[in-house]
Amino acid sequence: MTATKQAYDTLVHETGGWVASQLEACTRCGMCAEACHFYQATGNPEYAPVWKVELLRRAYEQRFTLVGGFKTMIGVEKRITDDDLKHWSELNYHACTVCNKCSMVCPMGIDLGSLLHGVRAGLAAADMVPEDLMAAVNKQVKEGSPLGMTDSVWDQRLEWVADEWEVEIPRDVKGASTMVVFSSIEVMKFPTNVAAIAKVLNAAGEKWTVSSKAREVVNFGFYEGSEEHTKLFINRVLEGARDLGVKRIVVTECGHAYDALRWHAANWIPEANDFEIIHITGVLGELVGSGRIKLKPGAFDGQGTITFHDACKIQRKGGHIQEPRDILKVLAPNSFKEMTPNREESVCCGGGGGVIAIKAADAPRYAAFQLKIDQVNSVGAKTVTMTCSNCRLQFTDGVDHFKLDWKVTGLAQMVADALVE
Amino acid sequence: MNWQATLEFARGPFFYAALLFMLFGLAYRLVTVIGLGWSKDRVPDKGSKAAGVVKTFLKALLIWPFIPWVKNTFTKNPLIYIGGGLFHLALFTTLILGAPHMLVWKSLSGLSWPTLPLPIVDWMAAVGIIAMLMLLVNRRINPVLKLISGPAEYLSWLFVFLPMVTGYMMTHHLWFQYEVLYSLHMLSVDVMMIWIPLSRISHFIFYFFARAIHGAEFGKRGVAV
Ligand code: HEM
Ligand code: HEM
Ligand code: SF4
Ligand code: SF4
Repeated sequence: MTATKQAYDTLVHETGGWVASQLEACTRCGMCAEACHFYQATGNPEYAPVWKVELLRRAYEQRFTLVGGFKTMIGVEKRITDDDLKHWSELNYHACTVCNKCSMVCPMGIDLGSLLHGVRAGLAAADMVPEDLMAAVNKQVKEGSPLGMTDSVWDQRLEWVADEWEVEIPRDVKGASTMVVFSSIEVMKFPTNVAAIAKVLNAAGEKWTVSSKAREVVNFGFYEGSEEHTKLFINRVLEGARDLGVKRIVVTECGHAYDALRWHAANWIPEANDFEIIHITGVLGELVGSGRIKLKPGAFDGQGTITFHDACKIQRKGGHIQEPRDILKVLAPNSFKEMTPNREESVCCGGGGGVIAIKAADAPRYAAFQLKIDQVNSVGAKTVTMTCSNCRLQFTDGVDHFKLDWKVTGLAQMVADALVE
Repeated sequence: MNWQATLEFARGPFFYAALLFMLFGLAYRLVTVIGLGWSKDRVPDKGSKAAGVVKTFLKALLIWPFIPWVKNTFTKNPLIYIGGGLFHLALFTTLILGAPHMLVWKSLSGLSWPTLPLPIVDWMAAVGIIAMLMLLVNRRINPVLKLISGPAEYLSWLFVFLPMVTGYMMTHHLWFQYEVLYSLHMLSVDVMMIWIPLSRISHFIFYFFARAIHGAEFGKRGVAV
């Protein structure tokens, strides 16, 4: 029962007044289920968000409430067992992307995404993280990246990108104002994105650099829910930034990493506030809006309908909702079409939260992606663009799996292709 | 059985005891939750927390939570919204705008206000009762609701349902002598008040926390609530 004990202690530790007041507010109305793409796609009632946080609620009730204490004493309250942990590990890691859509639907306004992250913390403390995901976390601890982007691989890949696309990628420049940290997904799988971002920043005359110390922005510790690992990976980024003396850290097209760095880091590591942390979408919006880069209007018109997929961590939880629209209105004023629902109400791609890294989660992941297929098809889009490489990974995989004829691309890449020198 | 004495007990000592139990119980729960501590949020805002809080309350006070603001969530489980909305509307109308209830508030607070005529309150009560029956059936049928409901959820339903029904029976003089119905109404109200701090019906207190948190979380990111 030590696993259970550890999970219980961590769950209890996660529960301050902020969490407790929200657990208390729940009326058990079940509305949140309708928000969850995993529930919608499969109809499995256990995928209801309120049920996924059940472990946290039980720990809270037993530890902190008179009624819970009494119910435990007379034996009507279920104690958390190792089997429960295994079961909830599957519910939470296989069928939840922590996308926080459910929080928009809950009539009480409960911030379910944060509570679900708390459940992960408990499961992580009990070593109940799915094997594939844990292997990736350990790889990031040891090699600096979950995708095998070691020092030398990073070095060679960036060299190759610079050569292949003939862009300059400034490295370890002391005194640069902006440090860009790419995700290994981009460096390893979407190198065009790396080239595109470099091209755009150079065109804007930005004093930027990458750091050989802070080479990986992805944070698998945050997927896992382990505070220790999350902090470790954040610190690597912050150290790189401190060494180079930059003012601003730009997170590239990666959602979870942005959530961790922008919206959580300072609460664990106050020095994070020494830097402005911003997502590349915000930077692109700024550059286009202020006219520092010029785009060819209508560059993407005439190639069929283009639609934009809102990423949960960059749009709904990140706030960069308007910038992509403003940019797309320049790039494809006639062929850009919104899906419904969109913006902060967008349907998650189904691959985030580490789900795509877990082989055993393929079934719910593909099921959830079908909602996205319906959405894209109903606007008749041939091109889907987005600002998150993890979504993009899910889309490319989904397109392959379901044999779709869409083009999947990234916003930065579109901007780079439409640059007017 | 001496119904007159029962009524006096249920309107008198038992009522005040139950009322005090409810107030102290709720206060205790509030204090324990607040006492768990609130860590400071050091993350710099992008938008405005305050604006988010104000907007979310404007959008979702009282009856408004039952409007399905988010697209595609209404179609699959509409009874929750309709039943829940009508039930709360009926509850608040009878409790605040029903003449006998206003008099209770008056005796407790000294304030009084105009009330609705009995037939309207009566119809609202009927609506509330039907809505509650719908909610119960839905709770037994919908797979998610079945999964997340334990004895406590059904007891909560029952302890709110009883005052609704006995109140309605009373205004219609159904089946029993008035004193009997009045006693039953008061007893069920007393039981409900005792149950409130022990159960999830106290959601009406924590609602304000959760809503404020929601507004702050979305507001600080500059995202519409
Ligand atoms: C700020 C005030 C309140 C708000 C915002 C609120 C909101 C809600 C919501 C959103 C639900 C879930 C919807 C549903 O089950 O259909 C609910 C359920 C419920 N509420 Fe309230 N409520 C409030 C006050 C009250 C009060 C004062 C009572 C009773 C004295 C009450 C009794 C109940 C009961 C019994 C249920 C469960 C119904 C069921 O069995 O499905 N509520 N409330
Ligand atoms: C949860 C719902 C309800 C609560 C908490 C409640 C509470 C109360 C209370 C505390 C009184 C005491 C008055 C006194 O002692 O002087 C009362 C009286 C009364 N209630 Fe309710 N009530 C509820 C629902 C209803 C409903 C739905 C009706 C019917 C429309 C109703 C009809 C009455 C009537 C007619 C009286 C006054 C009896 C008299 O003074 O002759 N109640 N109620
Ligand atoms: S956070 Fe997203 S995936 Fe997780 S339960 Fe809520 S809606 Fe479902
Ligand atoms: S929607 Fe909110 S109040 Fe309703 S069951 Fe889900 S978490 Fe609880």
